[in-house]
Amino acid sequence: MVASGSQGRRISTPWILSIVLLILLLSSWVYFLFSMRQTQQYSLATQPDTLVIAQDISDAVSMDPAVAYEFTSVLVVNQVYDKLVDIEPPDLTRIVPEVAESWSVSPDGTLWTFKIRQGIKFANGDPLDAKAVEYSLRRVITLSKTPAWLLQQFIAKPEDIVATDSYTVTIKLKEKVAPDLFLSVLAFTTSAIVNPKEVEAHASGNDMGSTWLTDHSAGSGPYILAKWDRNSQIVLKANPNYWRGKPAIDTIIIKHVPEPATQRLLLEKGDVDIAFGLTIDLIDQIKDKPGIRVISYPVLKLEYIGMNVNNKYLSDERVITAIKYAIDYDGIIKDILRGGAMKVQTIIPYPLLGFNPSTPFYRDINKAKQLLTEAGYANGFEIELAYPAGAHPQEEIAQKIQKDLGDVGIRVVLRPMAASEMYQRYRQQALQMVLAAWGSDYPDPDNNAKAFGNYRIKQLAWRNMWYDNISADLVERAFRESDRAAREALYKQLTEYILQHGPYVVLYQIVKHVAMRTWVENFVPDPSFGTYLHLYKVYKEAVVSR
Amino acid sequence: MAFVVIGIATIVFFVTRVIPADPIGAILGPQAPPEVVDRIRREYGFDKPVYQQYIDFIVNLLRGDLGRSISTNRPVLEDIKERLPATFELATASLLIALLIGIPVGIISAIRKDSSLDHMLRIVSLFGISMPVFWLGLILLLVFYYTLGILPGPGRLDPYVQEPPRITGLITIDSLISGNMAAFINALLHLILPASVLGYLSSAYIARITRASILETLKQDHVRFARSKGLPWREIVVRHIIRPSLIPIVTVIGLVYGSLLEGAVLTETIFAWPGLGSYLTRAMVFMDYNAIVGGVIVIALIYSIVNLVVDIIYVYLDPRIKYG
Repeated sequence: MVASGSQGRRISTPWILSIVLLILLLSSWVYFLFSMRQTQQYSLATQPDTLVIAQDISDAVSMDPAVAYEFTSVLVVNQVYDKLVDIEPPDLTRIVPEVAESWSVSPDGTLWTFKIRQGIKFANGDPLDAKAVEYSLRRVITLSKTPAWLLQQFIAKPEDIVATDSYTVTIKLKEKVAPDLFLSVLAFTTSAIVNPKEVEAHASGNDMGSTWLTDHSAGSGPYILAKWDRNSQIVLKANPNYWRGKPAIDTIIIKHVPEPATQRLLLEKGDVDIAFGLTIDLIDQIKDKPGIRVISYPVLKLEYIGMNVNNKYLSDERVITAIKYAIDYDGIIKDILRGGAMKVQTIIPYPLLGFNPSTPFYRDINKAKQLLTEAGYANGFEIELAYPAGAHPQEEIAQKIQKDLGDVGIRVVLRPMAASEMYQRYRQQALQMVLAAWGSDYPDPDNNAKAFGNYRIKQLAWRNMWYDNISADLVERAFRESDRAAREALYKQLTEYILQHGPYVVLYQIVKHVAMRTWVENFVPDPSFGTYLHLYKVYKEAVVSR
Repeated sequence: MAFVVIGIATIVFFVTRVIPADPIGAILGPQAPPEVVDRIRREYGFDKPVYQQYIDFIVNLLRGDLGRSISTNRPVLEDIKERLPATFELATASLLIALLIGIPVGIISAIRKDSSLDHMLRIVSLFGISMPVFWLGLILLLVFYYTLGILPGPGRLDPYVQEPPRITGLITIDSLISGNMAAFINALLHLILPASVLGYLSSAYIARITRASILETLKQDHVRFARSKGLPWREIVVRHIIRPSLIPIVTVIGLVYGSLLEGAVLTETIFAWPGLGSYLTRAMVFMDYNAIVGGVIVIALIYSIVNLVVDIIYVYLDPRIKYG
């Protein structure tokens, strides 16, 4: 062959020379890198006044309170704005004052009066008064963006919010509602108070400053939104004018780290203080490592199976009960979720008012078979189960359910679908069985109760064609009940009723894990997906060098 | 080129509309009340008949407007402008690494065909083709960032480094323009790991084609003739073997560069690199019509440009090729 023989050998010297050169080049590069090592080790996470959080921030759309409706943006909005009232995790059932120092409600329950705390300043020094509250809440309703329905369900028009004097605001409601319910919506970030002067100065057209507020802040909260590089990082700086006093942490950096395994490396190395997205496998690997603390907490999200009662088989309540007895709940929680879930079978999640810890259903094949025989389906039947394609752990759970129901004779045909297709068909009442999740927008039982129990508002009950008036009436009574104990009793009744008769199998409540360095102090996780995470309370113990 | 782009845009437009999916419902999630879903659908014009949507789309496209993304609520063009530089920077660095590895490896294994060196290099490049990006990326991070601590972690720049003003969007170039050497070095160090992963994987293709192409040339009469004339071997390799072998190699380089410029979702995810790949993947998951169509148009444009450049290089490499 051409390349062999003496000629090949003749050119070997230059080849060897170039290889030697290459090795020299490479080793000098490695030497350079090692010499840089010292500077590399400078890490912000180890600075006592800086908190670095690793999180997937790709969901964020806008930091305008009237628009923000995703995990990341809601978390940020809560750090940069104040609301009339607030909620202090871990107790989500208690509303505490924030901008409003007190409030009262008229005897008919429709006119609310809020007294505004004096002396609060926005980050730029402007005073926060009743006019600012009036402007902010009216703005949400006028703009009518995605989360506006939270307020619109109670307030008919912008003019129903009125600043009656410099420090008093009244809000007129469409109808009487449970006080806790209305206040919990006022505690959500949609009701955050913006600085009218600053916002109007940046308005373009009739957007009420919304474009500008997308990546700027005009609030009175503990932090200012200093920078948002989309898909890179969000930087918050302490607000020197914060009325509760300047926070201990001066800078918060929320770094975009979408990959959990990368988050883990950053956390272990000490380059981030808190990692929000670790999977259960990664949590298991690091939880016992020195310098790392893991906090696990149930969040307000239930995984459930919805069953369309318009289906020939599912219209028989005995079939639905048989399905409830066929599923191996413990197996799902223990083997598939390995600690990522809490056993809950009722529709209101822990720790909300009205949470019902009752878990009467367990895997009992004989009972399930007997119920099916009574219903006339001793030989079982075939049914479709839709679930979000490729989603973990839904895929494994769907397979497990296929097996569990198969054991009692129900042949489940799995229908993985893109989320966009699944929700569309669900909204069209076109699914037989669906494996889905429901997260609560605001920490009041009404959010779940009406979704699962009241077909009249066209959410889950309607999508599963469960037109049950007993349940719907109970939901509406609890919606209006102002006595807390009476309301709790109504929810107890409702959850029991849906547990026995509703076309849902609630499989579990999701448990989240947050991992952090042990030098992070006073971090209280929020079961409500970060809506009420108060990062201004966090501080770091003096960091020893690594 | 305009026809190619409009043709592709049309196909993708109709494919996205045919799929039975509801992007608004997917973005808003199961909680959103039906009235809100309907209102936002109207805002985006998705309630109109498909032909009307198509006419609007083409009219806007001719104006250079790709529409608004549903998931980011911003003009698609803005989103792409923000992400393209990151992808361009990473793709170019990866291509350089791929060329630095691929071409020498290809040449050496062709010239030393069937020697143990050839076998070794081919095994290494086979690894490159079959290695999961995900695994390689994590291992490199584990070794060079976590264990040795000689390279920075994910991202384009460390947070403590002063970011250069945005001129081209390429941090390396912008920092050089503004004379910010600290940012330049930091950005370069951040590029090493993701570019090595993508570069190594791409080098495998280049090495294979280089080897095959050179082996083909070695069999040609002019090489035998040059050797029989007694020309020095090095000169034969450089002037009579490498140059005529370059045409298929350049073609593959063009394809590799094109696919690198599409973005690489797994590498971007592991290294938190804000590129096009993760944007398009997210767009597809949510059936974000405008973002998908806009992204595909940009990719079609990129491929057209890369092909054009490859064609121009052909003329330079082979004087026999002429375009009318």
